[in-house]
Amino acid sequence: MSTYIVRFTLKQRIEHVLTMVVFTLLCLTGLPQKFYGSGWAQRLVDLFGGIDSARWIHRFCGWALLISTLFHFYSAIFTIAQKKTRLSMIPTRKDFEDAVATLRYYLGLRDHGPKYDRYDYKQKFEYWGLVVGNIVMVLTGLILIYPTAVARFLPGQLVPAAKVAHSNEGLMAFLVITIWHVYNAHLNPDVFPFDTGIFTGKISRERMLHEHPLELARIEGRADEAGETVGTHVRDVG
Amino acid sequence: MRRALLLVTLGALWAAPAWAGLPAEQDDCLGCHGSDPAMSMDLPSGEKLAVFVDQAVFGKSVHGEILRCTDCHTEKTAYPHDSKPFASKRDVQVAYYEQCKSCHFSNYTKTLDGVHYAVMAKGNRKAALCVDCHGAHDIQRASEPRTRISKTCAGCHGPVYQVYSASVHGREADAGNPDVPVCTDCHRAHDIIDPANGALSMRTPEICGRCHTNEKMMKRYGLSTKVVDTYLKDFHGMSATLQRGTTKVRRSFAAVCTDCHGVHDIQKSSDPTSHTIQANLVQTCRKCHPDATKNFPQAWLSHYEPTPQKASLVWMIQVFYKILIPFMVGGLVLQIALHLWRVVVNR
Repeated sequence: MSTYIVRFTLKQRIEHVLTMVVFTLLCLTGLPQKFYGSGWAQRLVDLFGGIDSARWIHRFCGWALLISTLFHFYSAIFTIAQKKTRLSMIPTRKDFEDAVATLRYYLGLRDHGPKYDRYDYKQKFEYWGLVVGNIVMVLTGLILIYPTAVARFLPGQLVPAAKVAHSNEGLMAFLVITIWHVYNAHLNPDVFPFDTGIFTGKISRERMLHEHPLELARIEGRADEAGETVGTHVRDVG
Repeated sequence: MRRALLLVTLGALWAAPAWAGLPAEQDDCLGCHGSDPAMSMDLPSGEKLAVFVDQAVFGKSVHGEILRCTDCHTEKTAYPHDSKPFASKRDVQVAYYEQCKSCHFSNYTKTLDGVHYAVMAKGNRKAALCVDCHGAHDIQRASEPRTRISKTCAGCHGPVYQVYSASVHGREADAGNPDVPVCTDCHRAHDIIDPANGALSMRTPEICGRCHTNEKMMKRYGLSTKVVDTYLKDFHGMSATLQRGTTKVRRSFAAVCTDCHGVHDIQKSSDPTSHTIQANLVQTCRKCHPDATKNFPQAWLSHYEPTPQKASLVWMIQVFYKILIPFMVGGLVLQIALHLWRVVVNR
């Protein structure tokens, strides 16, 4: 048995790199617009060649985010319809139980953490947070690019409302990524300094055993350990 | 005898006319230049240059008791004196305004940054010099009364003065209200910024804000002092701030105060001719947003801060994130802390 297990497909790895680059650029060109009064904001904007260029880059990346999100949904729906994937990202009752169990474990009320399947509740939380965040950002962003077109059919107040939502949702996304994602992918003692899985697509068997034992059991055909939730393993392409 | 002399002196001082304080030396000049009101010289341009100085007028001017003729006419050191070869009246003014700088150096250097000097340097000799605004022998305090300032500018800028004097600021200024701006309050006096290149309009949030954020003054008119803050928080204010601070070339200009309210023709927002009255708003928005329709002005909260009554949707979203962001970030940080604690305990 090889020491590594393939965890992510090439498509998933490309999606991650694309999202990472686009998200970073959106933060770098977006946050200075929220904190426009600060010196660092002005310097950052100047680095991009002034507010007009910064805004152009921001909108370009926004469109890229819109297209990649649509593509992600399209391919997810397509693969789900063809039954080529397990619905491994859908939150289940087990996730809530896992979250409670994990907190109890952290607090010393349990001897060990719960056993996770392909995605643990933290990863599902982050994934769906990103999905909801993307939808909010894309919709409010479109309102802000086309305020006159929006006001042609809808109340004008949607424009300042979209601005407040866009600016706050963006700040929250930035904070969640810099605090939560950077902790889980870099600073977490289990993976420090760098969880390379999403870039190489591979993960060691030891880590799988530690972090996703239910999926490992399914892959290795030990249905007895995996319990009832195990079905025939089909490669995840979602 | 001595006593009599003292009495005569005191009597003379009491009865002294305004020009009694003229330095004695003036008499020598005024001996010729102060006697014949028709005294003039012919210039090659065909103009007649009056060389008569009215003692009474000069005596009452701000310089009357301070300056001697030769303080400004420095080259006239002896009698008889030569006449400089001036071709026209304007030549005389252009030559003599330079004399002001020996005393008024700071204001003189400011004019070097001003638009009048820039226009003059490009060859337009009509551009205003010190003497064009302040006068020569009859100089009075430029701001007494305050409305005199705008009237001075009107000497050349007549049409724009007409517009201003019909505006809410101009009407009040004419009525003697000291709160409202005259030309120089916005344009400055000596280092007047060229209004054509956008630099002045980019400064309007600060210029207008000087009065419109003054609690005491605005209270007298029942006006909000949050107008600048609410503007800056909006998309236009944010864009304008970043455009203004940039070291790069600006390619666009976000709306500033004057783009919506007008410049010299500002009226109360309740005035039917105001650019910002409800009925005229779409038209005002269309100056920059040609596709604007009747709903579009609602996209601007009219300098109001969102409240449950005013812009309730915006207010609700604000409150939602004010709660959600600390909750989310706090929860995640807490979970990270608990995890780290567990890792430490396990070791």
